[in-house]
Amino acid sequence: MTQVEAIVQTIDRLPPLPAIIHQALQRINDPRSSAQDVVEIIQYDQGITSQVLQVCNSAYFNLRRQVHSLKEALVLLGFDTLMQILLNKSFHGVLSRPCQGYDLDTGALWRHSVSCAILTEIVSRRIQREPDSRLFTAGLLHDMGKVVLSAYVGETFAAIKTLVREQGYSFVAAEREVLGIDHAELGGLIAEKWEFPPSIIAAVRFHHTPWLSQGDFAELVGLTHLANCMALLTGIGGGADGLYYAGDPETMHQFRLREKDIEKCLVQLNDRLQTMEAWLEVA
Amino acid sequence: MRIIIGVADMKVSNQAEADLITYSLGSCIGVVVYDSVARVGGLLHFMLPESQIDPEKARKNPWMFADTGIPFLFKETYKYGAEKGRLIVKVAGGAQIMDDKGFFNIGKRNYAAMRKIFWRNNVLIKAEDVGGMVNRTVRLELSTGKVWMKTSGEGEREL
Repeated sequence: MTQVEAIVQTIDRLPPLPAIIHQALQRINDPRSSAQDVVEIIQYDQGITSQVLQVCNSAYFNLRRQVHSLKEALVLLGFDTLMQILLNKSFHGVLSRPCQGYDLDTGALWRHSVSCAILTEIVSRRIQREPDSRLFTAGLLHDMGKVVLSAYVGETFAAIKTLVREQGYSFVAAEREVLGIDHAELGGLIAEKWEFPPSIIAAVRFHHTPWLSQGDFAELVGLTHLANCMALLTGIGGGADGLYYAGDPETMHQFRLREKDIEKCLVQLNDRLQTMEAWLEVA
Repeated sequence: MRIIIGVADMKVSNQAEADLITYSLGSCIGVVVYDSVARVGGLLHFMLPESQIDPEKARKNPWMFADTGIPFLFKETYKYGAEKGRLIVKVAGGAQIMDDKGFFNIGKRNYAAMRKIFWRNNVLIKAEDVGGMVNRTVRLELSTGKVWMKTSGEGEREL
């Protein structure tokens, strides 16, 4: 078995995606399905439903009355907020694991991921696109591959570091050179295994190489790429891979964004990040 | 006792047993000031160079920007008896991603904005560790006035 095959096999050690999340994600990402369709699916899982309702009923939202069902929550909070609570609750566990290979303590990868998720929406609004719940999903899951690759990066860190510091490699290119696969491609494979929609698979796989993505998903991939660059710049949840990643000027051109736009997007991050942290402190 | 300073945040203290610490400086800059006579120190973690891009945000959170945060940091230490001439200033951060077109060079712009403010106000930087592509953690030990800097994946060293 080659090293790449061995790495890919470790995907199997990840906990399976709960069926309910899988079905909800399919519908979140299908423009033909409605908010009600998604709620129909989720409400059969009492565990998830009660967790989501707990957040809805927390002091944070300060609703005038107690919410007893997801349908009520949908009316009061809106679909996007409800989905963000659901996604955060579902993926907080796996994304909060420490990733020692990247020198990420407990919770660090989640903070980076959720910052990226928030920024995909902020950037999308800045270029005046319609709200799209795929944005948050793509941003939140873009670095899933790090959870698996961390152990291998840890073992080969000296070699990766040499390429990065002395030969000008980006961290992701150095991973590929040393290990035969990088965290973005591996994340794409995880997303495939979990049967995510093709748009999310593309966003995860190409978040460092948006120029390789073409067709329908190019915009989602580009937004995920830019949001990740901005999240890296903040340093929030940053690790030993540092900021050794390339920002794609073509994507900036495509969206007609300038350097000042990046600052204007970053200004909005803090408040939203605090909101999401508050949601998780409930329960 | 550790006093943690978040992103776009600032703390000033004269408690000898306290450590002021800020994690994960990417393109943001951590400004540390310390007066060894008044035994007061402060740490600012600012994120962006100029408040003019969002004056309303700057009113609510002056620590987000260099031009509003840095004066605030100095004035706050004066309340504890610090004097400008005695304050030792050390800075770290201002990293960037790989970007030859300069779209993402907030780190450089943060550093330039900070230098301009210091230059106008005759403030000298005693030590700095800026630029590059690394994440940094900065800690001020109030009992000694020593500033410690840690790069992600490596050990802590004095700045």
